[in-house]
Amino acid sequence: MDFELEWTKDQEAFRKEVRMWLQDNAPTIFEHPDPANLTEEEYLLQRSFGKALGSKGWLYPTMPIEYGGGGLPMDLAMILEEELDLYNLALPPYYDTGGKLGSMAILVWGEHQQKSYFLPKILSGEIRTWQLLTEPESGSDLASVKTTAILDGDEYVVNGTKIYVGSNHGAEYSWTIVVTDPGGERHKNLGWLMIPMNLPGITVEPMDLLFVGGERGAASGIKNTVFFDDVRVPAFNLIGGENNGWKVASTHLEIEHGLLRSAVRGDPLTERIVEYARENKNGGHFYIEDPYVKERLVDFFIDTEVTRLLHFRNYAWRSQGKQLTYEGAQAYLFQKRSQLTRARAVLDIFGSQALIADPDPEAIGGGHIEIHQRSSIVDQHPGGTAEIQRVIIARRLGIGRSEREEPGKLN
Amino acid sequence: MDLLLNEQQLMLQSTVQDLLKRDFTKERLAEFDSGKADLKDQWDSVCSTGILGSLIPEKYGGIGGSFSDTGVVFQELGKGPLPGPHFTSSVLAANLIIQCGTESQKQNYLPRIADGKFIFSVAISNLNQSVNTIFEDFRLAQNGVSGVRLNIPELRLATHVIVPFTSEPGIQGLAVIPTNTYGLSIRPLTGMSTEQYELKTENAEIEEILTGFKLSAFSSALIQSTALLCSFQVGGLERVLEMCLTYSKTRHQFGQPIGRFQRVQDHIIDIVNYLDSAKWTTYEALWKLDTAQESKVGIHMAGSLASEGYYLGCNAAHDVHAGVGIIREYGLTLHTKMSRTLYSYLGNPRYHRNEIAKALYF
Repeated sequence: MDFELEWTKDQEAFRKEVRMWLQDNAPTIFEHPDPANLTEEEYLLQRSFGKALGSKGWLYPTMPIEYGGGGLPMDLAMILEEELDLYNLALPPYYDTGGKLGSMAILVWGEHQQKSYFLPKILSGEIRTWQLLTEPESGSDLASVKTTAILDGDEYVVNGTKIYVGSNHGAEYSWTIVVTDPGGERHKNLGWLMIPMNLPGITVEPMDLLFVGGERGAASGIKNTVFFDDVRVPAFNLIGGENNGWKVASTHLEIEHGLLRSAVRGDPLTERIVEYARENKNGGHFYIEDPYVKERLVDFFIDTEVTRLLHFRNYAWRSQGKQLTYEGAQAYLFQKRSQLTRARAVLDIFGSQALIADPDPEAIGGGHIEIHQRSSIVDQHPGGTAEIQRVIIARRLGIGRSEREEPGKLN
Repeated sequence: MDLLLNEQQLMLQSTVQDLLKRDFTKERLAEFDSGKADLKDQWDSVCSTGILGSLIPEKYGGIGGSFSDTGVVFQELGKGPLPGPHFTSSVLAANLIIQCGTESQKQNYLPRIADGKFIFSVAISNLNQSVNTIFEDFRLAQNGVSGVRLNIPELRLATHVIVPFTSEPGIQGLAVIPTNTYGLSIRPLTGMSTEQYELKTENAEIEEILTGFKLSAFSSALIQSTALLCSFQVGGLERVLEMCLTYSKTRHQFGQPIGRFQRVQDHIIDIVNYLDSAKWTTYEALWKLDTAQESKVGIHMAGSLASEGYYLGCNAAHDVHAGVGIIREYGLTLHTKMSRTLYSYLGNPRYHRNEIAKALYF
C-alpha cells in the first residue's frame, strides 16, 4: 500500500504542459462565495474556457479520444484537476452534471450512432446538459417517475414536470428519465432521453429555495422546475432502448452516488475557518487559544480528512480496476453527514457571526462560512438522501435484501 | 400537581392561535423568509391582541400575567415562527426596565411597551462567554455612547434600544437611546438568519440611564427572559414536529407513506425527544420563576435543550422532507433560520452548560 502520489518524469512533463497552457488560457480566478451569483458574463467566460479545454480533450480527460475525450489515464486526469484546482476551478468548470453523468451512461448504453452524435458535443463543451430526474411526487423513489414519453411516428411526445433541475443561465440539452410504457411493470417501463432544450413546449421556472450549494463554481445556486407540454423529441434521442431505462439509471446512479467527486479536491473551508480563528478575538483572546475551540476545530479537520480519504480510496481503486460495492455510497454519506456536524461546530465556535453573508464589515471567511451554513442542509438531499445511501450500503453489504445487490454497470 | 394549562392560559393560547391563523398564513410567513414582509403591518396586528402586556404589571398598563402565562403566548408565537420585536420589546426590554429602571422610567416606558407604541430592542447578541462581555462593545462618555455590535435582532421597527455600556471609569450600565437619535445608525445584515442588524453609535445622546442597574438585577432580567425565549423555541419545534408528522403520512414513496420507513421514523422520534426535553424543562423553569424558587439551573438547562433541540430538530425535519423542505413557501426554512438565529442569542448550549456547572459547583 502506498498513499504517496509520486509522479514520474512523464507525468511531471504533462503537469508542466498543463501549467503553461493554463497560464495562457485560464480565466482570472473568481472567488464567489455564492455560486448562485455568477453573472452572465462570468458564466460565458467559464463556457468558453470549457470549450478551450474541450479542444484539447481536457474537459473530459478520461473519456475516449474518438468521441472527443482526452483518452488520458486517471493519473494524468488527476494532475489536470490539481492544476485547475489552483485556479479554483473544477472539471467541467461549470455546472454540467447532465453531461458528466449522461456521457458515462451514453458511453455504456448508447448505439454507435448515438455516441458519435451526442458525446462529441458534450465532451468538447459545445453543449451544457442538465440532469432531470426528480419530480414532485418522485424523489427517493426514482422508479416511480410520471413524466411520459409516448412514441408517435419517429418522435416521442413528452409530458410531465421535473423539479430541482440544473442551474442558472440555461442549458442546451436535458438528460431526462421518462416513462416509455405507462402500463408497464415497475423498473421495466422507463427510458432516458437527451432532449434539446430549445424544443417547443418546454418551460423553465426558477424555484425559490433555501439555497443550493456548489463547489467552487462547478455547480450553481439556482434550481428550476421544468415543464414538458407535448414536447416532440426525435426517437433517435432515446438512449439504451425503450423500457430499459432502469438499467441505464443504474449506471447514472452508480456514479452519482459517491463516484463524482475527484480525489484531489480538498476543502478550503477548513483552512478558512482555522485562519479566522487564528486571527480574530473573542472576549479578549484569539479564538484558537480556547481549548474548546481547538477541540472543535480538530473534529472539523478529522471530518475533512476522512471525507478526503474515502473519496481518494474510491478514486484509486477505480483507477486500479478494483470493483467497488458499498464504498461510493459510504463516501457520499460521510461527506453529507460531516457537512452537518461541521456546520454546527462553526456556529458553536463563532456564534451568530457565522450566519452573516454581509461583506461589510467583512463577513467571516469572506461569506463562504455563511454559505456553508445553508449548503450543509441543502447538500443532504441531491443524488439520493442520506437514508438512500444507507439503503445502498446495506444492500451492497448483503444485509438489505435476500441477495446482495450488484453495482451498476460502468463499462 | 397539575400539568395542564389553566383557563387563562387556554384563552391566551387561542388568542395567539387566532392571530396566526388570521394574519400570518403560510404565504405571509414565507415573506419573512425572503425579507419581503411588511413589518409595520405585522406589528399592528400583534399589538391589537394585547399580548405585549402579558408580563407587564397591571399598574404599568399590562396584564400582569405570570411567566407561565407569557410562556404560553411565546410558545404559540414560536409556532409560526412569527419574527418581530415582540420578544425583545415586551420581554427582554420590559424585564430590564422592571428590574433596573426607576419608578418614573417604569411609568414612562412600560405602558407604551404594553400597547406597542414604543418598540424596544436590546443590544445583546451572541452570548457565549461571561455576561460581562455584553458590556464591552459600547462606551459611555460625556458626549454620549459610542460603539458597534453585530447580530442585534429586530431593530428595523424599534423606537428605542437599550444599550449595555461601560463608562470611562470602568462602570457598567444600561442606556436607553431612541433610534432616531443623531449618531445612531443601524444596518441590516443578510444571511442565514432572521432579521439581524449592526448597531453603531457615535456619541449618541442618551435619553435615560436605567439607574437601578446592578449586574445581579441585569442577570436576573436576562435569565428570566431566557426562559421565555425557550418557550418560543419550544413552539417552533412543536410546529416542526407537526410538519414532519403530516408530511410523513401524506408523502408516498415506494408505494407507501414514508412514515412507514424506520429510517424516517427515527428522525421523527428524535424530534419528539428534543421537543419534550426542551418543553418540560421550560415548563418547570417557568413554574419555578412563578413560585419564586431557585430557577437558575432549570432555566440554563431549558436554554441549552431548547437551543440545541430546535437546531437539531430542524436538521432532522430536513431529513424527513428532503427536497421539499428547502422550498421556501413550504414553511420549514423559516424555522431553520430562526433556530440558527436563536442558537447563540441569549446563550449557546455550551454557555448554558457552563453556567449549570458553575451553579452546581461541578
